[in-house]
Amino acid sequence: MSTQHHNAGNVQHLYEGDQSALYSGVMQHHTDINSTESRAQVKRIWKIFWILLVITVVEVVMGMFFSHHMPRALVAFLFLALTLLKAGYIVSVFMHLGDEKKNFLITIMIPLTLFIWFIIAFLSDGFFWLHMNTTSPTRNKQTTEVVQQVHEK
Amino acid sequence: MSNATATVTAVEPKSWGGGRSPFNVSYGKMMMWFFLLSDAFTFGAFLISYGTTRFFSAVWPDPNQVFKSYPFGNNLPLLFVSFMTFVLIMSSVTMVLAVHAGHYGDKKAVVKWMLWTIVGGITFLSCQAWEWTHLNHEGGWWGSFTDPNTPVSAFASFFNTHKVTAQALSAHGLQATHDFFNYFFTITGFHGFHVFSGVCLNVMILVNTVNGTYERRGHYEMVEKCGLYWHFVDLVWVFVFTCFYLL
Repeated sequence: MSTQHHNAGNVQHLYEGDQSALYSGVMQHHTDINSTESRAQVKRIWKIFWILLVITVVEVVMGMFFSHHMPRALVAFLFLALTLLKAGYIVSVFMHLGDEKKNFLITIMIPLTLFIWFIIAFLSDGFFWLHMNTTSPTRNKQTTEVVQQVHEK
Repeated sequence: MSNATATVTAVEPKSWGGGRSPFNVSYGKMMMWFFLLSDAFTFGAFLISYGTTRFFSAVWPDPNQVFKSYPFGNNLPLLFVSFMTFVLIMSSVTMVLAVHAGHYGDKKAVVKWMLWTIVGGITFLSCQAWEWTHLNHEGGWWGSFTDPNTPVSAFASFFNTHKVTAQALSAHGLQATHDFFNYFFTITGFHGFHVFSGVCLNVMILVNTVNGTYERRGHYEMVEKCGLYWHFVDLVWVFVFTCFYLL
């Protein structure tokens, strides 16, 4: 990717007017859209499209026919792994984050790691609440049996 | 003083020494990324809240039962929502092709791909409108299924009766159905509103492109910034799709 800044000779004008032109040259090209480089980029976009489509089809087929006969934890793991894979392709190729500077990528990604803790903390709290109440004397016997039955299935 | 300045300018300036953008992105594009980061936390909070409620519910509606309808038939679970997912992925592709055309300053191609992106967005919104109407006819809405005298038959069809016993359904089914629809309409509504805003932004970008605003400016960065927003909407749908329809 070319790193030159376009309109570099007209910086004063840019300061007074449209500032976005100052540093937006990372992915800007001056070559022809029918050039080899351009064609390769378009080819990569369509390749990612097919990958996303295939992953989605796999997910749907799994959800329609197989996920009910598989262990719950495995289903959750597979769906989440496929989802994160799709998200990765969208962010890195479609949103061009993979083409930005590494520092910028890290700046965006680090706050998102908080989600790992959020998910663990909140879901385990929900799970705890359900089971805490199965031993609570204020919850009737019928409810306790229902929770046990559901989790045995 | 002038000596020192000369020395500094002679060597390659440091990334963080000031006077240049260390990330090599414009202010607007960086702020779009930070906005999307904050929006990711909003959607994340919604989805994690949904997950927590689901974890502390003894029973939960089965997506294969709730989403088994499509406009011209019935009993094909996930088919309609798979189509919606396909439309959104497709519109993401046309958007990235518009951004690509913008990088090469090809006005005609930007217009073409922006038009297809807008068509995709409107198609998605129409599908969602149909799905909402359909679920509303089945009794689902914000605050629905709260009357304790509701017969089990009113919501039993949302559950997989091979997995959930009649006893469990009568004890917990009403509350779970109520929670399910509250979350469903809130989260898909919030996402749908993002799609709607995205379509509006895309129309504005299209009008500006046709008018030659970006051609005169010398670059199509606005297409790129709105593209980021549009891809984010697709990204959120990937997670909504997993959480509501698959898991």
